[in-house]
Amino acid sequence: MPREFQRGHKAKISDLTAGTDLYIGVQIAGAGLSFDMSCFGLDGEERLSDERYFIFFNQPTSPEESLQLLGAQAGDTESFRVTLDRIPPLVQRLSFTATIDGPGQMSQVGPGCIRIVAGGEEVARYAFDGSEFSTERAVMLGDIYRKNDIWRFAAVGQGFDGGLDALLKNFGGEVAEEEPEPGSQGGVPGFAPPPGPGVQQAPPAFAPPPGPGPGAGAPSGSAQVPQAPQPQVVQQPQVAQQPQVPQQPYVPDVHGAPTVAAPIVQTPQVPQPPGPPGPAGGQQPPQQAFAPPAQGQTGFPEVGSNPYAPPAPPQTAQPPQQQGPPGQQLSNPFAPPQGQGGMGAPQAPHVPHIPQGPAAGVGAALEKYREVPTGQRWTLQNASLIRADIGIDGQPVLAKQGSMVLYQGKVDFSHKGAGFTGRVVGNATGQEMQLMRCSGKGQVFFAENTAHVHPVELQGDAICVSAENVLAFDESLQHEVRRIEGHGIPGGALFTMQFTGTGTVVVKTQGTPVVLPVTPTTFADAQAVVAWSAAAQVIVSSQVRLHRNAYPGHSGETVNLQFRGAPGNFIVVQPYEV
Amino acid sequence: MNQPAALAGFAPAPVGARMQNHGQHMVKVAMQSGQDLFARPGSMVAYEGFVQYEANPPAVRQMASQWLSGEKNPLMLCRGDGLLYLADYGADTVCVNLNEESLSVNGTNLLAFDAHLQWGVERVKGLAKFAGQGLFNVGIRGTGWVALTSRGAPIVVDCGRGEDETYVDPDALVAWSSGLKMKGKRSMKAGALIGRGSGEAYQIAFSGQGFVVVQPSEDSTDRIRVRG
Repeated sequence: MPREFQRGHKAKISDLTAGTDLYIGVQIAGAGLSFDMSCFGLDGEERLSDERYFIFFNQPTSPEESLQLLGAQAGDTESFRVTLDRIPPLVQRLSFTATIDGPGQMSQVGPGCIRIVAGGEEVARYAFDGSEFSTERAVMLGDIYRKNDIWRFAAVGQGFDGGLDALLKNFGGEVAEEEPEPGSQGGVPGFAPPPGPGVQQAPPAFAPPPGPGPGAGAPSGSAQVPQAPQPQVVQQPQVAQQPQVPQQPYVPDVHGAPTVAAPIVQTPQVPQPPGPPGPAGGQQPPQQAFAPPAQGQTGFPEVGSNPYAPPAPPQTAQPPQQQGPPGQQLSNPFAPPQGQGGMGAPQAPHVPHIPQGPAAGVGAALEKYREVPTGQRWTLQNASLIRADIGIDGQPVLAKQGSMVLYQGKVDFSHKGAGFTGRVVGNATGQEMQLMRCSGKGQVFFAENTAHVHPVELQGDAICVSAENVLAFDESLQHEVRRIEGHGIPGGALFTMQFTGTGTVVVKTQGTPVVLPVTPTTFADAQAVVAWSAAAQVIVSSQVRLHRNAYPGHSGETVNLQFRGAPGNFIVVQPYEV
Repeated sequence: MNQPAALAGFAPAPVGARMQNHGQHMVKVAMQSGQDLFARPGSMVAYEGFVQYEANPPAVRQMASQWLSGEKNPLMLCRGDGLLYLADYGADTVCVNLNEESLSVNGTNLLAFDAHLQWGVERVKGLAKFAGQGLFNVGIRGTGWVALTSRGAPIVVDCGRGEDETYVDPDALVAWSSGLKMKGKRSMKAGALIGRGSGEAYQIAFSGQGFVVVQPSEDSTDRIRVRG
């Protein structure tokens, strides 16, 4: 039973397994993305002081072969072999990273994992998901590091903005001139590393396990074993008896070979199991396209005494995530993959066969949306939800009415009289800024209309926020209403709340805001500006141009706010004009 | 015409499960004969293959007669082989794989579910007031897939860890585990003005062991129904 790691978890390797000969498998995939997996052997200062310990597609082994890149196998997109007791003392930390080759960003990544297999048994697994990332182009997945001479594993899951070369520079390496620029390869498959001795020969006493796809990108292609050049074709048993004739010299394509896990591939020669009836009244769909996949896959060959074979992917946990080229001739594009092993027999048509997804159960599906527990007073739960823990210091929170979505504990909500200044707002704009006072002990979740929320912590400084962009704030803050008058502003004036003191004010914006420094020429639309530092001076500038008015019906941008202030002031603008 | 490079990366990922998210806002369902699906009418944005839609399945009519008094059916039955893409006006979608579990879902936040799951419209005592606002919930139980929608990324909160109940704005409620007890709560204080609208403020109080899923928006308008 593998131990499940979460981001930030650490454990001693010796607690996971007694072995020191580890197989590190990385599963990562995303629509239209291709990945470069690499391993950085870093010294005590987390620098890549010896470039021979940067293991990647062009350098698949370290000098004494303690680190080896193995290629895709056994359901893993990429795999490494790490022999801990042969790693020189110079290397203190092994950082396993995945970078996107070509366009794309990490948020497009589907569910993936990094796992450690020792002695044929998976002992650790750290699963991640694209939703944990945003625009990063690389991710440091996990570290194996030495602390007090004990090797440990840490699930890192840290995104990184640049690509492989930026990552390399971050670790103090240099990008060699002749190294292909990551990203310039585009989506061209078939990138083959120069056949060096380290790739051609499978390391002695270390046989890559027979994975679901025979030789799917695995570097097992020594010269003695002829192998079909299409690793993605999975032979059914009948087919497998026919000798395969290699049609072209085998290229150890550990990097670019697309792999497709076995179950969704079928060969046309194999008689199909009785499929479910076609759609009632519809045309008979082409057999090839819609029939459920052949279920000839039974268990995997025993690997016996091989101490280093990764186990077959568990039956339900991992759907095939590798992507084949579009239009691959043999794959069934529509049928969801079937489980392996135990689910071998085709089921009766009247029993609906539920394809197993990546995570069974409500808890697993909702895990990533779980509440973030902290002891802090304000905790951002996601981009548009914030939690206030009122009980911590007993300070009440003032919030816009109706912005509470959930609360726990004994919290009292009472109408907050806006006071004199508040009444000015109400009278002048016709829409009152209604506040409620949340007091007591408990947690309150605030959100409004999926607007992004930003907790701004003030420590003695001051900020002006447009009144309709205030979601909530600590009662300890002093607030006063300011009014900016000018022709053309809807309602006659723009109302802002100025907050001073120590505490947090939660500002909401529709969409991702932009923060601009105040320069001599900083203008903002009066309806889009959200907040500005209180030291900036606001001037209403009306621009009336004759030629604009010459077009009837033209509603140009006529009223702008100009900001002036010393360097260091800023304004916040949202991409939404209320 | 070749696919422009700017659109690369938006192609669907290989099918990995019965339901999968494509991006944040779209659900891709792998349809197979014999595995029918109930979906909200109007939620289909695309499909590949041979999928047929039955807008007025009698079973639904029976079950959902109390759903809303309107004459429209709340669900359509989809059957066939292919890939079905569902979305609800840009709302976030969440796919849940039930494993002999049960879940209660707010009707407007239900996008699709496997037809072989047991389901029924549940009414909550003391919440009759909400019925007019469209608060009805669908209890779903069994082993299979359910797709939910949420305006903005949802949050899952555990109930029952404190001594007090968990109170949820009904407009922000998405789903909850079926074991929870729920009752309506009306803010009785004259000065308490919480919630949308004027004067009347409700929350739903949950107690017991379980979780509540809440969306960061109090806009529970049923966009599909409003438009259709």
